[in-house]
Amino acid sequence: MMNETAPMDHERSRRSFLKLVPLGILAGLFTSIGGAAFRFLRPKLFAATDSWLDVASVSELTGVQPLARKIVAEHIAGWAITTEEHNVFVLPAKNNQVLSAICPHEGCEVAWDQNTTRFSCPCHESYFAADGARISGPAPRGLDPLPVRVQDGKLQVQYVVKEQATRA
Amino acid sequence: MTPPVEKGFRGWLHVTGGIVGVLLLVQFVTGVLLAFYYVPSVDHAYTTVSYIEKVVSSGAWVRSLHHYGSQWLSLFVFLHVLRLFLTRAYVAHRIQWIVGILLLGFVMAAGGTGYSLPWDARAFFSTRIAEGLMAGLPFVGGMARLWLLGGSDISTITLSRFFALHVLVIPACFIAVVVWRVYGANIIEIFAPRHAIAGGVVFLLLALWSLKFRAPLGPSVVDMTADYLPRPGAQFLWLYQSLKYLPGGLGSLAGVALPGLVLLILVLLPWLRQQRLIGGSILGVGLVLVVVMTTASYVSDHRDPQTSRQLAIQAAHEDVWRREPFKPATITLAATSGSESASGGPPEMYTKFCASCHGPNGEGGRQGRLNFPPLLDVSAKPRRTVDDIASLLKDPASYGLQPPMRSFKDKLTDEQMKEIGEWIVKLKR
Repeated sequence: MMNETAPMDHERSRRSFLKLVPLGILAGLFTSIGGAAFRFLRPKLFAATDSWLDVASVSELTGVQPLARKIVAEHIAGWAITTEEHNVFVLPAKNNQVLSAICPHEGCEVAWDQNTTRFSCPCHESYFAADGARISGPAPRGLDPLPVRVQDGKLQVQYVVKEQATRA
Repeated sequence: MTPPVEKGFRGWLHVTGGIVGVLLLVQFVTGVLLAFYYVPSVDHAYTTVSYIEKVVSSGAWVRSLHHYGSQWLSLFVFLHVLRLFLTRAYVAHRIQWIVGILLLGFVMAAGGTGYSLPWDARAFFSTRIAEGLMAGLPFVGGMARLWLLGGSDISTITLSRFFALHVLVIPACFIAVVVWRVYGANIIEIFAPRHAIAGGVVFLLLALWSLKFRAPLGPSVVDMTADYLPRPGAQFLWLYQSLKYLPGGLGSLAGVALPGLVLLILVLLPWLRQQRLIGGSILGVGLVLVVVMTTASYVSDHRDPQTSRQLAIQAAHEDVWRREPFKPATITLAATSGSESASGGPPEMYTKFCASCHGPNGEGGRQGRLNFPPLLDVSAKPRRTVDDIASLLKDPASYGLQPPMRSFKDKLTDEQMKEIGEWIVKLKR
């Protein structure tokens, strides 16, 4: 009896081993491409721009109300240098401080409301005072001030990217 | 019905299906990966492919796998069809046979549409040839050409069409026929060790091949010179060489109509009489044609000293290009030009007095027969500093400018003129 069952067991174990071969090969295939895919898709981090961007001539910044201005910044991301326009607010009444227009709640852009003399966020109804301080709503803090300097009579700003601005 | 698994050496002749399956999987995975970076538009396709080649980790390897994988897939699908024919699958296993023939057609279609996507010089020529082949078809040529291009000429819409066909329509066809094939098969047979081993070995060879040989990328369409010699991938060399001998519309017949007819006959083979004669003739003639024409193409390129020198120059240029750092594209999302002043647009006084002639953003303009020059890049010209522009606005004649340019000394203050000058010198094309 022993002599008859031994070859059958051997054949059975050979067959079960052979079943593992395709699985092993497929696993090897997926591992090699999977490793490459991980490296391939891994996001590349780019340093934030630290260049100074013109906002306006200092001489034109007068009055007590926040002044809406646009700055044009270049962002290097992936295969493109993207030139993007961003809204900022200059506060002549606060020594020309410049506020980012990005709501620190979820990143929508606030607008200045002349009638209520406050900034309002169109997305989730956060409100900010004329100096950028938070009044009400879900925003965790006031509008973010941006680094400024005056160069040759021009007010200049360093644009801080949105992701950094929205971090509490 | 599933054929019995053959044993011994004959069993190894049946592994072409497993190899095709593995190569299809490689094409799908690498294709999906490439789509994470690729942009199908004529102004960014080349840049994104360059980015994959030069910047993305493992990018060159993944692209090589996809490029050479498509050529190897064509070869192995053809061998698979030959194997099916020799084992008379068209009699006993009709689904296998039809799926094999359809795969052959889809693989060629995928290769043909894929060649256009990098939008380098090769891609441009391959798109032109596809256009010519379609246009030369009898009766339907004009309409087929328009539908292929998506318009009256090759444009970014054409590239979008090739992309949609390549990544959506053709893969959907592949999935449909593979599911059809797998549905009727014994899963044990699909995952038979021999198939997996053969597929694994071929993948290993392809992986090593792709490490050693980079997928070619010619110069961009913009940088292409008149002496550039385009060469298609290996699976299309037979067609490329055949077209040299075929005048005008005959090329369209040989390149589109005839292959289509041949595939149709082969699909219908299980229901035809004289199957062995018809199938054998088609596959035999096809095999001889492909081998002879492909060989002739290689030989003629190497024999002609001028051609071989030019191809060597192109290869050297590509090597130089690979060593150069990646040059990113520029995208402007600003509603106004990036060169405009910080206050977000032209000065108010420019808009009031200058924009009606020189354009709202200094781009120039035309009124009747009068041309008003653009102000872009004007600072590169002599005597066009901020102070010069302010002075010019007071007294244009002293700068050699003729009417209708007039003096604005009574309309603008010195500061306003300077502000306009400061804005204008920043304008760039």
